Amino acid sequence: MPPIEQPASSKTRAIEILVVVVCLAAFLLTCLLVQWPEGQSKVSARGIGVILAAGLTLIMYSFLYRDNPLFKAAENLYVGATLGYTLITTYRLSLKPDIIDPLFIDPPTLGVFAGEFARRFVPIVLGFFLLTRLSRKYAWLSRYSYTLMVGWGAGIGIPIVVHTFILQQIQPAIRPLLDAETFRALTPFSWVTLGSPALWSIIGTLVILVGTVCVLFYFFFSMEHKGAGGAVSRVGIWFLMISFGASFGYTVMARVSLLIGRVQFLIEEWLGIAGR
Amino acid sequence: MKITPEATLRRQEITRRIIYALVALAVITPFIHALPFKFKPMTLSKNLYDKVESLKPGTPVLLALDYDPSSMAELQPMSIAILRHCFRRNLRVIVMTHWNTGVGLCKDVCEKMAAEAGKESGKDYVFLGFKPGYQNLVLNMGENLLGAFDKDFYQKPTEGMPVLEGVRSLKDIPLVINIAAGASIDGLWIPYGRDRFGFDLGAGCTAVMAPDLYPYLQSKQLIGLLGGLRGAADYETLIGKPEAATKGMQAQSLTHVLLIVLLIGANLVYIGRRYFGPKEA
Repeated sequence: MPPIEQPASSKTRAIEILVVVVCLAAFLLTCLLVQWPEGQSKVSARGIGVILAAGLTLIMYSFLYRDNPLFKAAENLYVGATLGYTLITTYRLSLKPDIIDPLFIDPPTLGVFAGEFARRFVPIVLGFFLLTRLSRKYAWLSRYSYTLMVGWGAGIGIPIVVHTFILQQIQPAIRPLLDAETFRALTPFSWVTLGSPALWSIIGTLVILVGTVCVLFYFFFSMEHKGAGGAVSRVGIWFLMISFGASFGYTVMARVSLLIGRVQFLIEEWLGIAGR
Repeated sequence: MKITPEATLRRQEITRRIIYALVALAVITPFIHALPFKFKPMTLSKNLYDKVESLKPGTPVLLALDYDPSSMAELQPMSIAILRHCFRRNLRVIVMTHWNTGVGLCKDVCEKMAAEAGKESGKDYVFLGFKPGYQNLVLNMGENLLGAFDKDFYQKPTEGMPVLEGVRSLKDIPLVINIAAGASIDGLWIPYGRDRFGFDLGAGCTAVMAPDLYPYLQSKQLIGLLGGLRGAADYETLIGKPEAATKGMQAQSLTHVLLIVLLIGANLVYIGRRYFGPKEA
């Protein structure tokens, strides 16, 4: 159940405001002490960047206590900055080098301009057609661009998808349980010590076989999952649950990693504690 | 005694904040005081390391760094470790990105690692920067690399660069390593790159993506995989230069221990309440 915000009493609100003021004072004092070293007349540009990043990081994490105006402001700033950065980089790294520079900056003569323009005319027009989606009257023009994209995508993509995601994936799933190489590597002691890679290869192949069949059967809805079919289906569920558990574990690790990244920044770059 | 819904909500909110505080403590503590957590590099990480190690000096290697600041915590340490390894092995390193928002990060890491190893742009490595196109770009690079990138990021012509000598297309590059936050490993480099042009492909990804990429290891479409911070820490350990990721893994391990304890504890409390506790109103 998601947490429901309770209206805070005036006493609680006063305590919260006091805590915010104390935190702000502590933040500013820390910045002054760490990022403005003695003997320097001003903070470096990098120092200002670090202070801003540290402040915004702490504001973002303030949401864990409660949603607040500072968090809202930082959230909007993040969205705006990301969009602005994406627009600028798209212009500088795509439009400028591929359209603006070759057509209007680099060509010294009309002949060169004409050649460059002829080479780029079709892509520019098709790109421009995509923007006509913004107009009801001319939106139909964008269909030409989409037609090309869908046609090209299907033509190139379908054989590749079949080869990469079906044929190449089926191959290891249907390999022999005991091929000649594995058989040669097996010794009678393999079964006793469980230490042979060949033995584990056989066990791995069996697990894949059982898992694939049972999971596929779980998604087979043309017959009722009762009796033996029900048992196979339940094994399929177990395989799915283990798979979801592994995914969840990795997701937790990823989210904690992001927190670690920010904490590492705060400790090493903002506070200047140069690690252990 | 009956428990009201308001009291339950209040208790949940307090519990939530205690858990946040404990997690914060678990993450911060290892940066202040070293903990005795040790880990051995995983086989998947070692496979990629061994492949780089097996290449002869002067072999071209392509690094596609497809991420931006939002996944920097996990992926930047990987890029640093792999670049450091490649430069140490005197490989010719070609770096590019499919993410226009990640160009700054890639440029920084390239220049920093090259300066550390005393490598020269154009001679020992080249940073090609960003080009739009995704699949089209990979297919184009597979046909004509210098046509796809006629200039590097610093606007120097790629034609005639010593680092690209003998490299006409992706077919001339024996190893491509894709460090990615999005779908570019299984959506781009495996189908349009590796399977079409035949080079070996290694990958580094965020931990969220790692389980989805395991089937490609089994089918040998990937030769090795660095999954999340753990993968980065593995590679740092393998090259003998433990840095940010290795430090981060201490915090990661302590947090995992805490989460396991909390999970078990919460389940015990739940079971206890369900069978022995008071009924809710």
